[in-house]
Amino acid sequence: MAYLTNLYDSSRCTACRGCQVACKNWNQLPAVIEPFRGNYQTHEDTNADTFTIVKMIETEDPVDGVIWNFLKYQCMHCFDPACLKVCPRDAYTKTSWGATVHDPDKCIGCQYCTYACPFEIPKYRKREDITTKCTLCADRVEEGLQPACAATCAPGALMFGNRNELLQYAEDRVKHLRANGFPRATIYGKMELGGLNKLYVLTDTPDKFGLPVDPKVPGQIPFWKDWVQPYIGWLIPLALAGSATSFVTTRILANKHGKHDEGGHE
Amino acid sequence: MQLLPEYKQDVPRVERFNMVARLTHWGHTVTFLLCLFTGLVLFLDGVDWLAAIFGGYSGAGLVHRISAVIMTLVIVFFVVFDFKGIINWIKDILRFGLNDIKFLLVFPLEFLGFPVKVPPQTRFNGGEKGNSIVTSTCVILLVLSGYIMWFPAIFPAGWVRVAYPVHDIAMVFATVMVCMHAYLGSFHPGSGESFWGMWKGTVRSDWAEHHHATWYEETYGEKAQTDEAE
Ligand code: HEM
Ligand code: HEM
Ligand code: SF4
Ligand code: SF4
Ligand code: SF4
Repeated sequence: MAYLTNLYDSSRCTACRGCQVACKNWNQLPAVIEPFRGNYQTHEDTNADTFTIVKMIETEDPVDGVIWNFLKYQCMHCFDPACLKVCPRDAYTKTSWGATVHDPDKCIGCQYCTYACPFEIPKYRKREDITTKCTLCADRVEEGLQPACAATCAPGALMFGNRNELLQYAEDRVKHLRANGFPRATIYGKMELGGLNKLYVLTDTPDKFGLPVDPKVPGQIPFWKDWVQPYIGWLIPLALAGSATSFVTTRILANKHGKHDEGGHE
Repeated sequence: MQLLPEYKQDVPRVERFNMVARLTHWGHTVTFLLCLFTGLVLFLDGVDWLAAIFGGYSGAGLVHRISAVIMTLVIVFFVVFDFKGIINWIKDILRFGLNDIKFLLVFPLEFLGFPVKVPPQTRFNGGEKGNSIVTSTCVILLVLSGYIMWFPAIFPAGWVRVAYPVHDIAMVFATVMVCMHAYLGSFHPGSGESFWGMWKGTVRSDWAEHHHATWYEETYGEKAQTDEAE
């Protein structure tokens, strides 16, 4: 099945935060009020009751002066999700259309996924001892609806649909932006981490939007999951087998050489 | 078939481990094994029957944490009440020398039950010195990485990511040692008597003299007796 993606076009976003509200509403998430930090961004980062936020990033450019970039931020629904790989409870599944879905009933709150995710997206919800994150509204999409955030977006900055078609749209849009005053406009999510089931049209380079330019799963994670876990554990049955062998041979040899003189030798 | 050597009361016996050391050792054994089996539930990526023993996955997590805290308290107990014992233990490990190397060379044969000639050993033989170093190091690593994994939010993210493989590697090496150590300290015919040293506190004098000649000589030998009399 073709992947269904939620594309975000930063050049169309007005930072109204309707998506933030729609997400809270659909997922029945309580409000989380963070102290005012001197800018318009409501939350420092996503949290256990806030699956998506609109980041507002100010940068100073020597030519263009102060620029204000907006970015809707949430789970990227990676093609090859690190969260899914580390979860000891197999709480994550990938739907046939590309959403990374988390099952709260399986989750034990170990937070391995939080630290494996290149964006540290899954967040710990203490009251239930689980992690949570954006679901790509799998429950809505499977009923033929759009994700709540995309459905609510008035200026059309969020568009949900076939990934290939949206990729075409994104390429055309970037071409248009580059020709019209945004020479560094780019697509994000096409190739990053082998592909994200989330596409961004950015008016500038990803770092100007607080995104890692070349996101990577931290090296300790593949070392742990691909080397330590599958192989070194075999030393344990080996040691057990050694002791079992000794248990038998010591008793056979004791019969041959005479008793161990009650625990002595010679 | 005889598993443990008989505990003989009517022969001369010498003290090997005091009460604090014995309580620490067995408190540690119980909590270590509980941590091990509840941890393996996750290490083996979801073994439902093993989790079921502890009342499911959250039950296993709870047992792991309770045992971890008790294990930590046991270590504190040991440090507080027998600090001198720990120092003497470390001092003995530091005496690692030629006789220990010779011990380790013939040990595989002794392990399997072949009669071998072993040079005189100090309080802990070459194998026990090795076990002491590897197991203690791994347990310290397990405790440190374990608390980081338990409370990741208060540590830098980089430490948390390092803690995962460290916890698993330390678990494997400690468990490999324990598999052989627990067997040697109980059902192995040659060293089984040491079990009583850890259980009741004393071992047969002739066994001590035979297995730990240097220690026996220094602690209970003629010279030690006259030193004490002086
Ligand atoms: C103070 C001591 C310890 C603490 C605080 C601790 C804590 C933890 C925590 C928080 C986890 C994450 C899983 C969860 O949330 O339940 C864990 C996993 C684990 N622990 Fe421990 N632990 C300790 C000692 C031990 C010991 C002594 C062993 C084994 C000999 C052990 C073996 C394991 C294993 C095998 C895992 C699973 C790792 C994986 O998923 O690959 N732990 N521990
Ligand atoms: C059923 C399991 C176990 C049995 C039967 C057992 C038995 C013993 C005995 C008899 C000794 C005294 C050896 C001597 O005379 O020097 C000993 C020492 C020791 N035990 Fe255990 N033990 C067990 C489990 C453990 C576990 C789980 C640990 C740690 C994780 C441990 C750590 C140690 C250490 C560090 C020593 C001192 C060094 C040595 O003698 O090797 N033991 N044990
Ligand atoms: S962004 Fe993080 S949480 Fe989302 S799918 Fe990728 S690895 Fe998983
Ligand atoms: S916190 Fe939950 S979802 Fe994340 S790795 Fe642990 S069990 Fe899996
Ligand atoms: S897709 Fe659904 S869960 Fe994800 S940010 Fe949008 S509304 Fe929230």
